[in-house]
Amino acid sequence: MSETPARKRIESALADSPLTTADTSFDYRPVALMPDVKVLKIGGQSIMDRGRKAVFPILDEIAAAKDKHKLLLCTGGGTRARHVYSVASDLELPTGLLAALGGYVPRQNARMMQMLLAKHGGIYIMNDDFEKLPLYFRLGCIPIMTGMPPFGYWEKPAENSRIPAHRTDAGVFLTAEVLGARRAIFVKDEAGLFEDDPKKNRSAKHIPRISARELIAMDLPDLVVERVVIEYLGRARYCSELQIVNGLERGMLTRALEGEDVGTIITR
Amino acid sequence: MSKLVTGDGRTHIDSPLMGESLVDRRVTARTHSEREVAILPDVVFVSIGGQSIFDRGKSAILPLVQEIAALRPKHKMVLSVGGGTRVRHTVSVAMDLGLPTGGVAQLVGAMEEANAVFLNALLAKHGSIVMQREHFWELPLYLSTGMLPIVISTPPYHFWEPPPEEGALPAHGSDFGVFIHAEVLGVSDIVFVKDEDGMYDKDPKKHADAKLLKRATLDEFSRAMPAELILDRQLFSAWKNARHVRRIQIVNGLRPGELSRALAREDAGTVLEREVTHV
Repeated sequence: MSETPARKRIESALADSPLTTADTSFDYRPVALMPDVKVLKIGGQSIMDRGRKAVFPILDEIAAAKDKHKLLLCTGGGTRARHVYSVASDLELPTGLLAALGGYVPRQNARMMQMLLAKHGGIYIMNDDFEKLPLYFRLGCIPIMTGMPPFGYWEKPAENSRIPAHRTDAGVFLTAEVLGARRAIFVKDEAGLFEDDPKKNRSAKHIPRISARELIAMDLPDLVVERVVIEYLGRARYCSELQIVNGLERGMLTRALEGEDVGTIITR
Repeated sequence: MSKLVTGDGRTHIDSPLMGESLVDRRVTARTHSEREVAILPDVVFVSIGGQSIFDRGKSAILPLVQEIAALRPKHKMVLSVGGGTRVRHTVSVAMDLGLPTGGVAQLVGAMEEANAVFLNALLAKHGSIVMQREHFWELPLYLSTGMLPIVISTPPYHFWEPPPEEGALPAHGSDFGVFIHAEVLGVSDIVFVKDEDGMYDKDPKKHADAKLLKRATLDEFSRAMPAELILDRQLFSAWKNARHVRRIQIVNGLRPGELSRALAREDAGTVLEREVTHV
C-alpha cells in the first residue's frame, strides 16, 4: 500500500475519540433549556378512548391553568395503537415497523386535542417544531405534540416481544429530560401505582411514593409506565420524578400543576 | 370487520391486545414469534468511515468510489457515510457549552449529511442518490432501478436521545444507526469500511502490540469486548436482540479490493457473526 493519506482534522477535545464508547474525560456542566415547562401526557387508552366524559373536564383544567404555566401536552395512543400492534404482530413484522405504525395514532389524538383547545391557543406541533417552543409559549399557546419519540423505523428490536420499547411514556419522559424539567406528569385513569390492579381489585392499596430502584426490585410483571422510563429515570440529569395522576378525578391535574404530590410520585 | 367494545367507559377495538397493558411482560410475550418478515433481504449495507476514510480526502476516497461504482451492477448496496472530525468538533463545543445529551444528538447528523452530499457528488454519475428519512419507502424503487442510495446513518433520536449509561455523549451513533436501519429492513450483511484491517483487541493507533481479531461470533466477542471499539457499543447490545443481521464485516478501505472481497463474503478484515434463530 502506498503511503496512508493523513486525516484532515479539526483540533478539539474529542478529535481523537472514536465516539464509540462513553467518554467522561472532560468537564461537563449541563444547562437546563426550559426547566419551567410542565410536560403533560394525556393517556390514550385511559383518557382519549373514554371520549367526551373524560376529556372535557381535563380540557377545562388545562384552559384554566394555561396562563399560569407553560404547558406542553403530549398524547398517548390507546386502543387503535393496540389494534395496529396486533395486526403487525400477526403479520410478523419487525419492531421498527410497529414503532413507525404506532406513531400514527398519538398524532391523531394530538390533533383531536388541538381542535378542542384551539380556542384557548392549542396548537399542533411536530417533533421538528420543538425548537419553536419558546415562541409558542410567548404567544400564550398550548403546544400539543405526539408523545411518541421520533425513533420510528430506527426503534431497537425488543427482547421476547415485538412491541416497541419506546412509546409515548418514553417520549414524554425524554421530552421533559431534554427541556430540563424536573417532573413529567402522566394523566391517566388511576391515581398511579397500586399494590394490585385497581381495575380488578377495588381495595388494592395505593402507593403514593416509590423510587425507581424499589420498583425495579419488585420485578412486577406489569408496570404503570413503560419499562425503559424506569430504567432511564435512574440516569436522568433533570427529570428525576414521574407523577401519575387520575385525570378522571376533578382538580387532580390542577393540583399536580401546582406542585402538589397527588397521585403517585416515582422518584429517581 | 373488527368490532367495537364498550362497557368500561372506554371504546375499544376488538383485538388480541384490546384493553391490555403493553407494559405487561405476559402480554408482550404474546406478540413475539420465532419468525419475522424480511422486507428487503437481498440488500447489503456498506458504511464508509467519516474520520477513517472521508477525512483523508481524495487519495482515500476516489479509489473507493471507483470500487463501489464497479461493484454496483453485481450488488444491491445501500451506502452511508460517517461525519468524521466535524462531528467530534461539534460534540466538543456542545459539551463545553453544557448542551443536554438530546441537544447534542440533534446537532451531529448535519455533519454526516454533508459527507453524504460529498459522496453523492462523486457517485451521482454511477446512479447514487441521497435519501432523506421521509423517503424510507422509496428504497425498493432505487434498488430495483440499479441506483446507489446513500442513507443518513445517525438514527433520528434527536432531542429524544435516551440518557446514556455513562457520561453525557449520545450513545446511539452512526454505526448503531446503520445497523438498526439494516435490521428493520431484514438485511443480513453489513460492511463497515474503515482505515484499519478490522477490529483489534485495543486501538492499533495507540498500541503497537494490538492484535487483530479475524473472526468471532457475537457471543464470543461480547464475552471479551475490547475497551476501545471501532464500532458503537450500542450496536453490539442491540445486535443481541436482532432477528436479521447475521454478519458484520470490518475492512480496510485504504486497501483496494477489500470491499469487493467483503461483498463476495470472503474472509477479509474482521468477520463477526451471529447465530440467528429467527428466520
